[in-house]
Amino acid sequence: MRSSSTSLAAGLMLVLAGLFAAASAQAQSGPLRIEITDGVIEPLPYAAPSFIADNAAAAELAREITRVVASDLSGTGLFREVPASAHISKVSDFNAPVRFADWKAVNAQALITGSVSAQGNQLTVRFRGYDVFAEKELGSGLQFNGTKEGWRRMAHKVADAIYSRITGESGYFDSRVVYVSETGPKNDRRKRLAIMDYDGANVQYLTDSSALVLAPRFSPTGDRVLYTSYESGFPQIHVLDVGRVQRRVLSADQGIMTFAPRFAPDGRTVVYSQTAGGNTDLFTMDIANGSRKRLTSAPSIETAPSFSPDGSQIVFESDRSGSQQLYVMPASGGEARRISFGKGRYGTPVWSPRGDLIAFTKQSKGRFHIGVMRTDGSEERLLTASFLDEGPSWSPNGRVIMFTRETQGANGRALLYSVDILGRNLKPVRTPDGASDPAWSPLQK
Amino acid sequence: MQTGTKISLAGHGVLMGWAVFGGWFSAAPEAVQVQEVSVISAADFERLSQRPAAPVIAPEPAALSEPEQPVEVPQLNTTAETQVETSQPETVQTPAVEVPPETVPTPDPAPEVAPQPPEILDAPESSSIIAALPEPEQLRPAERVAPEPVAAPEPEVAIDDIVQPEVSTDVGAEAEQEAQEETAEEAASDRIVTEANEDEEAELEPAPVVSAPSTSLRPQVRPRRPQAPEQPTEVAEPLDDAESEAQDQASAIEDALAAAIAGGGEVEAPEPSGPPLTSGEKDALRVAVSKCWNVGSLSSDALRTTVEVSVTLSQDGKPDPGSIRMISSTGGSNSAAKQAYEAARRAIIRCGARGFQLPAEKYSQWREVVMTFNPEKMRIK
Repeated sequence: MRSSSTSLAAGLMLVLAGLFAAASAQAQSGPLRIEITDGVIEPLPYAAPSFIADNAAAAELAREITRVVASDLSGTGLFREVPASAHISKVSDFNAPVRFADWKAVNAQALITGSVSAQGNQLTVRFRGYDVFAEKELGSGLQFNGTKEGWRRMAHKVADAIYSRITGESGYFDSRVVYVSETGPKNDRRKRLAIMDYDGANVQYLTDSSALVLAPRFSPTGDRVLYTSYESGFPQIHVLDVGRVQRRVLSADQGIMTFAPRFAPDGRTVVYSQTAGGNTDLFTMDIANGSRKRLTSAPSIETAPSFSPDGSQIVFESDRSGSQQLYVMPASGGEARRISFGKGRYGTPVWSPRGDLIAFTKQSKGRFHIGVMRTDGSEERLLTASFLDEGPSWSPNGRVIMFTRETQGANGRALLYSVDILGRNLKPVRTPDGASDPAWSPLQK
Repeated sequence: MQTGTKISLAGHGVLMGWAVFGGWFSAAPEAVQVQEVSVISAADFERLSQRPAAPVIAPEPAALSEPEQPVEVPQLNTTAETQVETSQPETVQTPAVEVPPETVPTPDPAPEVAPQPPEILDAPESSSIIAALPEPEQLRPAERVAPEPVAAPEPEVAIDDIVQPEVSTDVGAEAEQEAQEETAEEAASDRIVTEANEDEEAELEPAPVVSAPSTSLRPQVRPRRPQAPEQPTEVAEPLDDAESEAQDQASAIEDALAAAIAGGGEVEAPEPSGPPLTSGEKDALRVAVSKCWNVGSLSSDALRTTVEVSVTLSQDGKPDPGSIRMISSTGGSNSAAKQAYEAARRAIIRCGARGFQLPAEKYSQWREVVMTFNPEKMRIK
């Protein structure tokens, strides 16, 4: 018995030795191989020395543009600016070679240089981005021409280009947000539509505060806005031309409430909720000819529809199961499948521009959350939690979500917040007054 | 006459003859020894038979009286050996029982300390005393030369209950080995070679030829790929056929000889040679790169992309930026792979700026490194 066990042990050791020898021989036969699975998640340090003013008229704008670019990048939470006081090199010539060692010394991993020239009302902005440690340029330099009034957009475009070259995805800085501006106390709150740059600059009001307005939504091209107005005494859908600030009623049927509109990706169709006879269902409407099509006919409440980016499906909320949950159905109507199964109530679903996620509002245990889940309902992830968070809206690149956060109490007010889809970089969006119901535009052309 | 009767007659005749003539051969009577004795009285007998009284010995040897005066140690310093021990002040209080008697020409060193009991004829009443005397050390736990207790002895080796396999577990050890020639001479010698006569021995005997390897053999590595033969720079002039054939044969023989001498074929020095990196050394490199692998600015698509990046390191552990290249990528688009690769490249360059801490003696093992950057774990953080 002992002899057999000894032989077995000997055999086992021989096999192990053989395997070890084989592994060693294999390891020696080629380059050393290692696998790295742990890294760090930190903002990438970058340096943005003030853009060079090619002439005296551009001096002030050069500084302003540089600050907007840096604010855009740092505001994402993905980048961290190396302060100018730490810079060793001073960029005085846009075309001079970069002394990478000086920027490596301050651990700037990316470098942005630029120049601004102003001729009359015309403005020209040039910039280059560098990967400092690779000592090579990030893509090739770009130049934008515009007017002095549009200097902020030009700065946003520079930031979008840098963001895209480093992260590999498109930016979202040259975009706008339409929202409901709120003033006054809670019991006498006055609401009106407003539009602004994504960072809160250039606020413009699209409507007056004579009538209650709700839930504005951008068209896929960003030139029109759908919203719900109580101008006639009950909710009706309006469409507004942003450029000309002209509006018209989309559905003028007396006694029929229409609300929660949203454009289809083609921009020609609108999906919305309609309440008739005490029942709320989903409909689509052709904007050109006004023809409608019923999508649901259940006795329950179906609302807050949102198209998938390819226009083939619609996600919406319904209480057909007894509680408010999320469902997905074909864009032409038909059988809907439930995708939310967690505890609590789900609402206001919005399909991501990338098509991979659905953002939603969740109410659970007396608190509200903004969350995301896969389009099949899996991998639900709650990004925020507060007394009242609701109404998510996706950034054009699907990386950031803007939503309404309302504070508690009689003096509570609604403000806009943004958070990225990993739950990081939660921060308020600057607005002159209270704000709610944000809708993010696509990137401007 | 029957045989039995004859035997009987002979026997009886011998018996009767012994009875008649036996007395003629008897020895002389022994002389009677007479011893004179003296008669003593009972009192004298009692006095003679009385045993001497045994000395009274304390049952505890430790309680024996110490010498009132310190032993005059210098008087005992008759040898160098004793000087060392007895010159220590601490030994003054110690009885001189440890002094070797042959080096101390003094009277019994312990008469005052441990008087020898007189010869005991009978067993004493207390046998423990006798047993205790041979071990005086145990009876003096307080006063010893060393002020500090010695280290505890090592515990005895306990025999493991678990039967371990025999050491020689090689399969070849159990198989019958073929007879082999001796590869090394016996190390034993009939002479003792010291440093004094080492040179003489070296001159007398030639250095033994040791054929045993001094180090373990390194595993063979993949030879380099044969390179294309270089184009001849000079073109030989054409020769006559016979002369050319003879020259070809001669050169072929020379080549064959050279190949045979060289051991069969030219093999260039292997590139990765020597012992491989240990797992700890690999982990150190992995951790060093991980510290700079920042995926915070990567897109979600790039976070789903695994890239394989190769890099050449210099002997001081610094990466050559020009050598960094992406070998492959999986899980993402080309754009995502590009971003993932650039993040990996930044990690290698940044954390390798001062050189990765790698064993210099194994440089051939880590000169070329392929790093796989897998962000799967980072995606869910």
